[in-house]
Amino acid sequence: MKKVLLSILATMIIGFSFAQDLTADQIVNKYIDAIGGKAAWSKVNSLVMTGSVKVQGAELSVISTIVDKKGMRQEFSVNGMTGYQIVTPDSGWNFSPFQGQKAPEPITADDLKESQDNLDVQGNLIDYAAKGHTVELLGKDDVDGVETYKLKETLKNGKIETIYIDPETFLIIRDVTKQKANGQEVESKTDLSNYKKLPEGILVPMSIKLPFGELIITDVKVNSKVDPSIFHPSK
Amino acid sequence: MKKIIFLTALFSISILFSFSQITSATFGTMKARWLGPGTNSGRITAIDGSNSDGKTIYVGTAGGGVWKTTNAGASFTPVFDKYCQSIGAVAIDQSKPSIVFVGTGESNMRNSVSIGNGLYMTNDGGDNWKKVGLDSTEHIAKIVIDPKNSKNIYVAAPGPLWSDSKNRGLYKSDDGGKSWNKILYINEKAGCADVAVDPENPEIVYASTWEFRRYPYAFNSGGAGSGMWKSTDGGKNWKELKNGLPAKPFGRIAFALAPSSPQNILAIVESASTGLYISSDGGESWKKQSATSNVEARPFYFSVITIDPKDPKRVYRPAYTFSYSVDGGYSFAGASNEGAVPHADMHALWINPNNTNQMYLGTDGGVYYSLDKGVSWLFIQNLPVGQFYHVAFDNAKPYNVMGGLQDNGSWLAPSASASGVSNADWSELYGGDGFWVQPDPAHPGYVYAEAQGGSVSRINAKTAKSVDIQPKQGEGEEKLRYNWNTPIVIGTANKKNLYIASQYLYKSINEGKDWQRISPDLTTNDKNKQKQEESGGLSADVTSAENHCTIFTITESPFDEKIIWVGTDDGNLQYTIDGGKKWINVAKNYEAAGIPHQTWVSSIELSKYDRNTLYVTFDNHMYGDMNTYLAKSSDMGKTWQRIDSKEFTGFAHKIKEDIVNKNLLFLGTEMGLFTSLDGGKNWFRMKNNIPEYALVRDIQINPSTNDLILATHGRGIMILDNISAMRNLTPKIAENNVYTFKNAPIQLTNGYFGNGGHEAQGGWSAGNPASVPPIQYYLKNRLSTDDVTVEIFDNQNKLLQKIPGTKRKGLNEVYWNLRMTPPKVASGGAKIDYSSFVAPMVLPGNYKVKLKVGDREYTESLTLVSDATDKTFTIADRQLQYKVAMNLYHLHEKLATLVDSISKIQAELKVTVNTSSDKKVKEYLTEYNNALETLRATLLATTQLSQFADEERLREKISSVYLAVCNQEAVPSNSQIANVSFLQKEELKAEQKFKTINAQYSTKAREYLHAK
Repeated sequence: MKKVLLSILATMIIGFSFAQDLTADQIVNKYIDAIGGKAAWSKVNSLVMTGSVKVQGAELSVISTIVDKKGMRQEFSVNGMTGYQIVTPDSGWNFSPFQGQKAPEPITADDLKESQDNLDVQGNLIDYAAKGHTVELLGKDDVDGVETYKLKETLKNGKIETIYIDPETFLIIRDVTKQKANGQEVESKTDLSNYKKLPEGILVPMSIKLPFGELIITDVKVNSKVDPSIFHPSK
Repeated sequence: MKKIIFLTALFSISILFSFSQITSATFGTMKARWLGPGTNSGRITAIDGSNSDGKTIYVGTAGGGVWKTTNAGASFTPVFDKYCQSIGAVAIDQSKPSIVFVGTGESNMRNSVSIGNGLYMTNDGGDNWKKVGLDSTEHIAKIVIDPKNSKNIYVAAPGPLWSDSKNRGLYKSDDGGKSWNKILYINEKAGCADVAVDPENPEIVYASTWEFRRYPYAFNSGGAGSGMWKSTDGGKNWKELKNGLPAKPFGRIAFALAPSSPQNILAIVESASTGLYISSDGGESWKKQSATSNVEARPFYFSVITIDPKDPKRVYRPAYTFSYSVDGGYSFAGASNEGAVPHADMHALWINPNNTNQMYLGTDGGVYYSLDKGVSWLFIQNLPVGQFYHVAFDNAKPYNVMGGLQDNGSWLAPSASASGVSNADWSELYGGDGFWVQPDPAHPGYVYAEAQGGSVSRINAKTAKSVDIQPKQGEGEEKLRYNWNTPIVIGTANKKNLYIASQYLYKSINEGKDWQRISPDLTTNDKNKQKQEESGGLSADVTSAENHCTIFTITESPFDEKIIWVGTDDGNLQYTIDGGKKWINVAKNYEAAGIPHQTWVSSIELSKYDRNTLYVTFDNHMYGDMNTYLAKSSDMGKTWQRIDSKEFTGFAHKIKEDIVNKNLLFLGTEMGLFTSLDGGKNWFRMKNNIPEYALVRDIQINPSTNDLILATHGRGIMILDNISAMRNLTPKIAENNVYTFKNAPIQLTNGYFGNGGHEAQGGWSAGNPASVPPIQYYLKNRLSTDDVTVEIFDNQNKLLQKIPGTKRKGLNEVYWNLRMTPPKVASGGAKIDYSSFVAPMVLPGNYKVKLKVGDREYTESLTLVSDATDKTFTIADRQLQYKVAMNLYHLHEKLATLVDSISKIQAELKVTVNTSSDKKVKEYLTEYNNALETLRATLLATTQLSQFADEERLREKISSVYLAVCNQEAVPSNSQIANVSFLQKEELKAEQKFKTINAQYSTKAREYLHAK
């Protein structure tokens, strides 16, 4: 009986003290392990994610394509019309035809610079130091009732990301990005959930909560063939 | 024995577990709305801007934390909401502007000043802060960073106001804030009020020390500890500056160096001969100037004098008014009254050193900016940092909130309005310092309000015309003593009763026209605490703020109007059970529970559930005791239990018992809002978009909306809309992994307001509460690897909408717009068609809500009702509207099918046209395609690619009537109904035309297509 109680007590104490002092690097490594490990991610060259955002019951379909270091295209379709945003190492375009825009418009040089990290298909935390980013542990912070690890990542391009990692799963549950492009300071918050393991061994969040709605990913293709012409604006 | 200890430990751990489950994060979906106002703001205590860009500015406030703008004031964000909200000083490290220091504890030492808990620092522009020391100084007046070596930081700490303390003086860090040394200390009564560093030779440091003290009933500024000091070795050694200064004792000294010529110093020295003193030799000798009354005004409260960064002759004195000098302080002019007239009482000024025309001024009523060196001013209308004392609400729909503010009168605003509660919705009722405002329950549109010291009036809220109703001294009575914050209270059992009080309690049953005194002097009437005319110290300061031995709180029992409780500022707690004939003082009884003798009774809450039960808060901070005192009695005050918690911070202002769940309690203190779900045993700090250390002065609950309404002393009025979930989510329910709540019937509505809102033009806006209540469920833990969805079904089990569910730990909320899924609308064309975002509203009836968590399902019913009182939009009207909307919905889908069929053929034709080499084939197929395109172009807008072109074809025509019918709360008109059948015929014609074209071309076209 005593033994049983002891083990219960031990479990409780462990439950309490998960917050042993981990360093920023230990937390980052646990995160990388949690999303499938560096080895699995190093085999990823492209990701094509298909999903949708529901707005008032209406569906906006989204296709997000990233080819490592080459280009990113996010395509939004509703009611037979398609808009997109393209970022490559040297140019970026927005096309939003929904209200009669006729041709793609270039993004500003600042926006282009601050979007470059999106071309990193593995995400910024894998090999962050080699990529020129820095990570600092800011301590613990509450995210919707979860006492998370709060990390600050300063990206090479100047963008600052605050990352909140669940201490039980070591998955990122919130990402707050601060951009300073075009003389403005703009903060955007993304909540991540419903992580699923893909046959390639990596975990990706299938629910991405954006300010205007929740993006539900229904399909992820890893290393599928991507036509490079999609990174050029079409007429 | 061992076993017992062991089990006890286990038990206490498990208690810790079960109770630690419910916190404010459990209710994290509930977010307070900040009503403001921004029309008038609150006291501003410190401003610093980044010299390098001139547009990144931090504003420190008396009770609203720190606000940051990165666009020169176009918009502000609060950046200090997890910490103490009373700010004394802000300083940017100009060599690295992402480093900012904030000293908490304002140093404008008025009666209502709050306290701080130390010095904080950020190195990322305010995103993250850490405390770096000086925890017990309570008040910090200034932070100066050595401009040549920013590791050297000086902090002037006047120190505690209400007690003697060693934690005061001038502090210095020489390692960028890591460690601190006290480098100038006089004694336990005198701290450091001001400090400056010579920018050319930073080893030269000047400081003024100040002896001061407050008691609940008196203030003293001045004493042997006040002086003017200079160091030439970075603060190691000090010499007192005297030559040419007036005879000691001094009071508070404000001073400034000319940044462009730092040998020149100006000092306002409070003394028997208060005045402006000038030195041109680094303080070694001084000469008195013939200063104006504004320069000499109220030295303990107006402690700023500033010299232009470039021009040593241009001097600014923000004080009672704003004055400036162009001759080095010899003469002063006042700011122009063109544009905004800056609010009286000024405490902060920042001048952009790279553009000295641009400056920001902090006053008792907010921030102003000038682009012409302070001659004229514009007001910044987006800082909702007003300092309310109390809040009340009326029975209007939407209800109004009203309350009085420190130095900003009494104001009223609706809790919701067409464009979201904005500055334009606020109206001022009464002037002076505002405190209590009470709506007259019998006469909507009339309120009772007051200015400081009991100047009570009855006011027409529309016209702001008022009638003085203050009871006056009668024959045989002592001089009346009205508190600074005199209670005005409406009866609880009998709403016709109106009470106000001096040392006596008065009652009126005719709106204050006539008064009946219903008590003797209920205070201790201690004459030693009634010498207010001697208050102030070196400068007389008698404003009713120190009035003492007064009644501060009055409460009528909800059970019986003859039972009235009264609390005084000198510790008496008395009640009557016969409407005032006989009074019983229970002050001695609460002392037995550990509440100090003669403690200020800040609020009394008589339980709605038991006539003998009451809760009382006590505030002893004016004797230097900052503890949180809350006590409960269940026997009419005979015995008391003190209620305490490790969570509590700040002296207590208000205890509120919920109106539905007797175990739900709210406590407002000088440093936070706290909630108990178990009758006061356990407490948690409320966050919920409420600053964690908000100064919560008053709490009300509106029974018609279940809103929690807060009067904060520094963040305006806050409303936590609909707190029902806090009543329903009991500790037992919280044990479930997943719990779905029963849905109360929801009334079908498009919302209370139309689309009348004008887009933001600056100013503050609070938005509106949700029009439709959410569907709620509880998750014990956050879900990271499972999906959550909410599906809505009608009573035929038809799926109407599928909504992504949130996955947070605690209460989750999903909003259904009470509509179906929008129709499939004809795709393509020149522009997006909004019908694909709009669905008909469903009809009243029974629905099902299915919550899917991973592979588990939970089903609750949901009843939708229509407003039975609305005779202009009956159930029959709704049914007809639904029928017409659905006809149009189907018409859209029919048209979509037709357009898809056309597009599909066109796509096939195009392939062959592009690939075939046979000219005849090409021509024929092109002709077929053109015929189809001619038809398609009649079905939807295809040509005008512009945001500003309204090409209208069949799709757009259907949308026009469809959107109108779906979005109106009215029966469809005969014209709308006739339009539907017209459009149905048009669509049939188009189908016919499609058939005709296909009949003409398709046989041959098939041959060509197949032949390829």
